[in-house]
Amino acid sequence: MIGEWLTRVRFLFAWKRRGEMDEELRFHLEQSIALKVAEGMSPAEARRVAMVEFGGVEATREECERQRPGWWMAGVLRDVRYAARGILAHRWFSAAIVVTLALGIGLNTMVFTLVNVVLFKPVPVPGGAQLVSVMNYNHARSDQSVPMSLPDFEQYRAQSTVFDFLEGATRESGVLVEKSNAPQRYSMTRATAGIFAMVQAKAVLGRGFLPSDVEPGAAPVMVIGYGVWKDRYSSSAGVIGRQVNVNGQPATIVGVMPEGFRFPENSDLWMPLVPTPELAKRDNRALWGYGMLKRGATLRAADAELNGIAGRLAAQFPEDKDLYANVLTFHQRFNGGKIRVVFLLMLAAVGFVLLIACADVANMMLSRSLSREREMSIRAALGAGRWRIVRQLLIESVVLSTMGGVLGLGLAASGVHWFDLQTKQIRPYWIEFSTDFTVFGYFAALCILSGVLFGIAPALRSSRPDLMGVLNDGARGSGRRSGGWLSATLVVFQFAVTLVLLTGAGIFVRSLMNSLSTNAFIPAAKLTTARVDLPEKRYKDADARVKYFDELLPELRAIPGVEHAAIASDAPGLGAGSQPVELEHVVVANLAQRPRAAILAVSPGYFETIHMPILSGRGFGEMDGAAHREAAVVTRDGANMLWPGQDAVGKRLRLLDDDGKPGEWITVVGISGNMLQEAQEDVPKPLMFLPYRQQGWGNMTLIVESDVDPLASMRKAAAKIDAELPLSEPRRLDAAIQQQVWFLSLFGKIFTGFALIAMLMAAVGLYSVIAHATSSRTQEIGVRIALGATVGNILLLMMRRGLWQIGAGLAIGVAGVVPMARVAGTVGVSGQVTEIFLVAALLLAMVGVFACWLPARRAALLDPVKAIRCE
Amino acid sequence: MPTSTDLLQGTLDLLILQTLSLEPMHGWGVALRIQQVSKDALQIGQGSLYPALYRLEYKGWIKSEWGSSENNRRAKFYRLTAAGRRQLEAEVETWDRLSAAIGLVLGRRVEVPR
Repeated sequence: MIGEWLTRVRFLFAWKRRGEMDEELRFHLEQSIALKVAEGMSPAEARRVAMVEFGGVEATREECERQRPGWWMAGVLRDVRYAARGILAHRWFSAAIVVTLALGIGLNTMVFTLVNVVLFKPVPVPGGAQLVSVMNYNHARSDQSVPMSLPDFEQYRAQSTVFDFLEGATRESGVLVEKSNAPQRYSMTRATAGIFAMVQAKAVLGRGFLPSDVEPGAAPVMVIGYGVWKDRYSSSAGVIGRQVNVNGQPATIVGVMPEGFRFPENSDLWMPLVPTPELAKRDNRALWGYGMLKRGATLRAADAELNGIAGRLAAQFPEDKDLYANVLTFHQRFNGGKIRVVFLLMLAAVGFVLLIACADVANMMLSRSLSREREMSIRAALGAGRWRIVRQLLIESVVLSTMGGVLGLGLAASGVHWFDLQTKQIRPYWIEFSTDFTVFGYFAALCILSGVLFGIAPALRSSRPDLMGVLNDGARGSGRRSGGWLSATLVVFQFAVTLVLLTGAGIFVRSLMNSLSTNAFIPAAKLTTARVDLPEKRYKDADARVKYFDELLPELRAIPGVEHAAIASDAPGLGAGSQPVELEHVVVANLAQRPRAAILAVSPGYFETIHMPILSGRGFGEMDGAAHREAAVVTRDGANMLWPGQDAVGKRLRLLDDDGKPGEWITVVGISGNMLQEAQEDVPKPLMFLPYRQQGWGNMTLIVESDVDPLASMRKAAAKIDAELPLSEPRRLDAAIQQQVWFLSLFGKIFTGFALIAMLMAAVGLYSVIAHATSSRTQEIGVRIALGATVGNILLLMMRRGLWQIGAGLAIGVAGVVPMARVAGTVGVSGQVTEIFLVAALLLAMVGVFACWLPARRAALLDPVKAIRCE
Repeated sequence: MPTSTDLLQGTLDLLILQTLSLEPMHGWGVALRIQQVSKDALQIGQGSLYPALYRLEYKGWIKSEWGSSENNRRAKFYRLTAAGRRQLEAEVETWDRLSAAIGLVLGRRVEVPR
C-alpha cells in the first residue's frame, strides 16, 4: 500500500519523457507491419494498412499523458505563472485589488478567530473538550444557572456514572490579613478536593488539595495563585507553611498554582470546601459544578443522567421543587445570550464587508475585462475552450485573493491582539484569543471562495467574447453597454449593505453616548470610590456597623483637599438593590403587585458629594434614621411613579421584605433631582434614598470628591479605625462608569470601524466604475463639449447612472435596517433608529455623490481638442 | 468485432494484468496475446492499450524496463509487481462474482463461487 503511494508520489514529479513514448509506439507500428508482411502483404501495402489501423498518434500521446496522477497540475502551474506575470504587469491595478481583499479577508479572519474562541474552541486545559459546567435549572423562573446546594451536589456525584471528575466550587471573596502586609481582598473559591486534579493542574510550589483537606475538622489550608504569590509575597519560597488570616479565620498556605492558572473562574485563592452545618442546608445554594466527562460520554447523556437524579431529589425534598439539572459547555454557560449574539453579529458584519470588497474587485475586474477582450478573443481564436479560459481567469482571481489574504493575516493578527488587550479586564481567564487549525482552514477557504466569488462573473463574461466583432473592431468598442447591469447591481448592493452597517454602528454609538451622558450633573472625574465590606463575624449588629461608618466619615472629610465625602450602598449609576414597598393608604391585594423601589442607603452629605439638587423638602441631616425618625428622599421621577400628581413630601411608606413582612413607617422628607442608577434597565424602578443609619448595612461604598488622588489617605483613614479591613475596588467614578459600558464602548468601536471600512470600499467601488465609464467615453465627451455641452450637462451625463445606483442602494438598504435593529435590540442596544438611519443615509449619500462627482468633474473639464484625438 | 471500448469498464486492466502475470511482455506482445487467446474476439488498439499500460504503471501495479525484443529490437517490457499481483487476484475474484451473478440473471446454469 505504501509502495503504491510512493510510486504515485514519484510520478507526480518525474513524468515520462516524450521520446520513450514515441519509441514505444514506433515499435508497436513496426511489429504490426512485420506481422502483415509475414502474412503475405507487400511491405508498402502492409505499411499503409498498419498506419490506418494504428490511427492518430497524437491523441494516444495525450491520453497517455492524462493517465499520470496530477497531470492537470502542470496546466494549473502554467496558469499561475501566467497570472503572476499579468498581476505584475498591472501593478497598481493589482495593488488596489490586493489591499481591498486584504481588508475583507483580514477582518473576517480576525472576527472568526474571536468567534471560534468564544463559541467553539474547547477550554484550554487538558481534556478541555470534555469539560462541562453543571448547575441547576429553574424552569419556573427560566433561570438555567442556579447554583447547587452541597447535599444535592453530593447526590449527583455519588449517583452519576458519566464523569471522571465532578467537582463543586463556590464563588466568594477572601480578605487576606497578616501582620506584615496590608489587608487585601481577592476573589476566592472554596472547592472540592479534586478541582486541581480534574484539569491536571499541579502546584509550582508546595501542593494542591489532598482528600483529607476536605474532611470535617481538617486543619484549614489555602492554595494561592501565582499573581498573589508574586505581588503579595514577592515570589518567596518561604510562603509555604505561612499562617494567614482569611475572612477572620486562620489558614496555612500549602501551595502556589502556576502562572495564568485561575480555574474555575478567575480565582486567586483556593480553599478546600469543608462541610459545615451552614453548607449542609438544602436551600443554601452556593456551588457551581464542574465536570470532566468520561471518554466517550456525551454532554447529552450527562444531562439526562443528572436530570434523573434531580427528579428524584425534587420529589423527595421541598427545597428542590422545580429544580432540574443542567449540563452545558463552558461556552454555552458563560458566553451565551448577549455575548453570543454580538459575536455572531460581528461575523455577519464582516461577512458583508467581504461581500462589498468582492463586489468592488469584481467591478474592477469587469472594467478590466473590457480592455482584455482582445486578448481573450485571440486565445479563443487559437482554440482555447471556454472552460480553459474560465479556469485561467479564475486562477488569476484566486492568486490575487490569496495575496490579499496573506496581507490580511497581518491585519487579523493585530486586530486579535487589540481585542485581547481591550477585553483583558472583563473576560474569564480561560478565554485565550489564539488561532488554531480551524481558523486557518477558514482563512484558506475564504481566500479561494472570495477569489472564485469575485472572479466568476468577469471570467464568464470574458470567456465568450464576440470573436469577429472584437477582432475587426479597433481596440475598444465605444458605447458598448453590455455587462453594465452587472456592475450597477454590484454598486447598488454595496450601498444597501453599507447603509445597514452604518445604521447598526450608529445604534451602538448612540446607545453608548446615551449611557455616558446620563447623570451629567455628577462630577464623575473628581469622585473616587472604594468599597468596604464589614465582616459579619466582627461587626455583628447594625449598631456596630453604623458606628464604624460614623467614625470613618469625619476621617474622610479631614483628608486635605477633599471637598465632600459620603458613604452610600452603591456608587452613582452603578446599580442598586430593590425591595417591594407599601404606600400608606394604598391597598394592594398581594405582594407580587406591590411596586418595587430601588434603594440606596446614604450618609449625610451624599447629595452634596454627587452634586444632586434637592428640589423640595430637604436632604438628610445627622438625626435622620434614628429610631422614630425614619426618613426617605425620592427622586422626582420616583415620586411621580409612586404618588402620581401629588406632592410626595410628608407621605409615608414601608419597606417589605421578601416574605411580605413590613418594616417601620418611613416619611418622605425631600425630593431630589433625577438620577439613573441602573444603567441597563428597560423599565426604571422608582429610586429612593434612605439614611444609612436606618439600614445598618455593612457593605458600603465610600465616595470622596477631591481634585488630587485621595486613595492613599482614604486607606490610611480606614486603617486608623480597623487595621484588618481592606478597601476594595478603588477607582475613579468615571472609570467605573466607562467599565460598566465596556460592552457598548468596545463593540461600538468595532462596528463603527467595520461600517467606515464598508463605506470607503463602496465609495471606491462607485468611483472606479464611473471613472472607467468616463475614460472609455473620452472621445464622446470631447465631441459633446465641442458641440456646446456645458459643464453641467457633462456632469449630469456622467453622474446620472451613479446617482441612480446610490438611490436604489439606499432604498433597498431600508429593508435590511429593520431586522438589524431588531437583532441589536436583543443585545440591549436600541435607540432612535429612525433618526440614526436618516443620518447614516445622508452621510452615505454625500460620500457616494462625492465619489461620482470626482471622475465626472474631470470629464467635464476635459479639453475637447485633446479628448477627440485621444486614442 | 467488439473493440476494447465495448469492454466493461475496468476489464481491459484485468486482461492486461492477467496477460502480464504469465511473463513480462511489451505492449505489442500484450495486444497480440489477448487477440490470440481470445481467438480474435478481442482486438485492442494502441489508442486504448497504451493509456491503460501507463495508467497501471502509474498505479504501481506494473513496472516497465527497456530490453530487447525477440528480433533484437529495443522494446519496453512490462512486468507485474507484487501490488499488481494482489490487484489481479482481487479483480479476478470480483469478475468471477460478477459474471456468475450476470449468468444467474440471464438464467444460465452456473455455479456461484464462494
